[in-house]
Amino acid sequence: MSNIGTKAQSPPAPAARRRPLLGGDGTGAVLKRAAVTGGLVAVAIAVALIKSGSGLVVWQSVVTGLLMGGLYGLIAMGLTLIFGVLDIVNFAHGALLAIAMFIAFGVVQGTGVHPYLTLLVAVPALFLLGAAVHRGLLSGTGGASLENQLLITLGLSLLLENGLLMFFGAEPKTVALPGDFQFSLFGAVVSGARLYAFLGAILIGAVLFWLLRRTRFGTAIRAVAANGQGAELVGVNVRRVHTLTFAIGTACAGAAAVLAAPLVTVTPTLGEQFNITAFVVVVLGGMGNVAGALVGGLLIGLVEQLTTIYMDGQSSLLGVFAVFVIVLFLRPQGLFGRRS
Amino acid sequence: MWARKLAAGLGACAVLAAAAGCGGSAPSGAAGVAAGRDRGPVKIGALHPVSGANAVDGQQMRRGAQLAVEAINAAGGIKSLGGRKVELATGDTQGKAEVGQSEAQRLISEGAVGFVGTYQSAVSTNAAVVAERNRVPFVMDVTASDAIFANGYKYSFRVQPGSAAIAGAAARYLKEVSEQAGKPVRKVAFLHEQTDFGSGAAEAFTAAAKKLGIEVGPNISYDALTVSDLTAQVTQVKASGADVLAVAGYYRDSLLAAKAIAAVKPDLNAVWGVSNGAYDQPKFVSDAGAVAERIFSTNYHFDAKNPQTAKLRQEYQRRYGAPMRTGAVLAYDAVQVIAQAVERAGSTDAEKVRDAIASSSVEPLTVGTGPISFAPNGDNKTALPVLMQVQGGQVKQVYPAEKAESQPNYSVTWRS
Repeated sequence: MSNIGTKAQSPPAPAARRRPLLGGDGTGAVLKRAAVTGGLVAVAIAVALIKSGSGLVVWQSVVTGLLMGGLYGLIAMGLTLIFGVLDIVNFAHGALLAIAMFIAFGVVQGTGVHPYLTLLVAVPALFLLGAAVHRGLLSGTGGASLENQLLITLGLSLLLENGLLMFFGAEPKTVALPGDFQFSLFGAVVSGARLYAFLGAILIGAVLFWLLRRTRFGTAIRAVAANGQGAELVGVNVRRVHTLTFAIGTACAGAAAVLAAPLVTVTPTLGEQFNITAFVVVVLGGMGNVAGALVGGLLIGLVEQLTTIYMDGQSSLLGVFAVFVIVLFLRPQGLFGRRS
Repeated sequence: MWARKLAAGLGACAVLAAAAGCGGSAPSGAAGVAAGRDRGPVKIGALHPVSGANAVDGQQMRRGAQLAVEAINAAGGIKSLGGRKVELATGDTQGKAEVGQSEAQRLISEGAVGFVGTYQSAVSTNAAVVAERNRVPFVMDVTASDAIFANGYKYSFRVQPGSAAIAGAAARYLKEVSEQAGKPVRKVAFLHEQTDFGSGAAEAFTAAAKKLGIEVGPNISYDALTVSDLTAQVTQVKASGADVLAVAGYYRDSLLAAKAIAAVKPDLNAVWGVSNGAYDQPKFVSDAGAVAERIFSTNYHFDAKNPQTAKLRQEYQRRYGAPMRTGAVLAYDAVQVIAQAVERAGSTDAEKVRDAIASSSVEPLTVGTGPISFAPNGDNKTALPVLMQVQGGQVKQVYPAEKAESQPNYSVTWRS
């Protein structure tokens, strides 16, 4: 992933927080880090090969890891966008994802349409829900303490999860993809549902990029992320940008949920499963860096799968957190974050 | 900047968790001799997770216990006590060990002569301590862990076969069924979730298989809470050259495993569930579709060949609009054990009821080799795991022969 952002245009504002949503370091520096990361991944794969002694097993792990990683990236993109612009660590992200899954499940159950068509319902619904959550619960806390925002989003996630539990019951549900198929990619098994989810995640990521890069609205979002006060001074409606950003971030979770629905068993507490991973991806990619989130997602997907080869019987999260801690130790601002 | 946020978030989590888990601690001492045991209905406690992640099974089991109470009352109540009626005192563990503990104490304080429960081993472990302290019998309907019965407890009993018994039977049935099919098992790969439940099943199975001369390996485990794909693990199985894959997991992860197996198509003769949380559930068949076909599972099970069981399950279906699961039938059996002990003791004194339970002989509606009767350690001597298989979209009992509804089909769908 090359650096999409260019050097920041605005004159430096020392008092302002600066968070380039699309990565803001020089291209050379980013390429160097990407190369180092890639090199380390290659070494990890080589060691896995030696450990397992089966090329097929490692190849399957790599393929599965990358496919899962795209989805993680998409989930984390929404989360990191919200953090980058609003400075809110949104613990309700996973619960909102679960809501979208149940919307997909409900629509498929009720109408029998193709699961992917529920994107047309789930994404707008989550967009509106995100806007409502921001307006109703969070916009008033702009100046409030961090703990308050955290407690609000955490409380909201408990509320949403238990609401789902009450409404749908704890019985796990499945969303089947009609006409799902499998094919072999040089020996590794890839299911259609997984491939579509991956491609969908990349596509939505690209759309989000384009939106941030090329539209007036995207420019406004980036302006607010880089310097809220400055943006306000030149006439950007910051509160509106905040609400819309939160809504877009939540809509990303909605899209990810529909794409992932055929791959998982839908339960009210499903969000927790993705929440932890998404947060790790966000921090790894550099808080508030949308491009970093996608790369971080792919990386974490890989690490998760390779962990099962390295350490049988350990939670794959062990490997994820090991990488997480090492990266934070070496680069506290994340792989693609900037020193603040 | 964000480090502070994360720290604050984790702090908030801890505060919330602490606030959520405020179960009152149980007073000790023989508070069990509570008021109200000698008058009014005879109270039997039912302690299950009717809220939280296991609410579906907990709800099922509470209803099973309720049906048992109604059946006893319809048959004239406790005759040796002049036809006194039986009443179910219900408690909700919320799936948490500490809540289960305080709820057990509450049921005892309300005058329960004994109680059944709790579906989860960790919760049962705590409830057993409460039963011991108050000298009130605790008859477990579903509790997989065998560790509780190594403590020399006097007041704990169990109806279901334990996890070691199930794993041992799974190995024995595998040897016998594979030999009958003319494809004797050589090497079993074992895929299991990594907590006590799955690892315990794998260890017990491995020990039993070794005695039978079956090689077990590789042993692959995963984290049931976070796993979202088992394709790579099943590919490891494929590379290992095993001819049977045993799977011990909960519902969600076992479903993932079944899908991964269907995708990778390893060269297996059979897929073999051990204490598996999915492979003998009708829901699994409807969720997994064609993928579920011919998967085996060794587990406790309601007795599909017993007409009384069939009648009970029809009644449940009519009343609650859902098929009655094995857990609920076990709860029914456990309540019957306590009620019949009260009948034989002719008393609601918990001590006398406990002694009557110890010499029980109760006809079960779940699969067993005879009437429920307890070994000195409290385990059910006649509990029998049974082998099931998905055949034509139905879960069928296939082995041993006297419990079989149809013949086992020792093969997989993707290899003729």
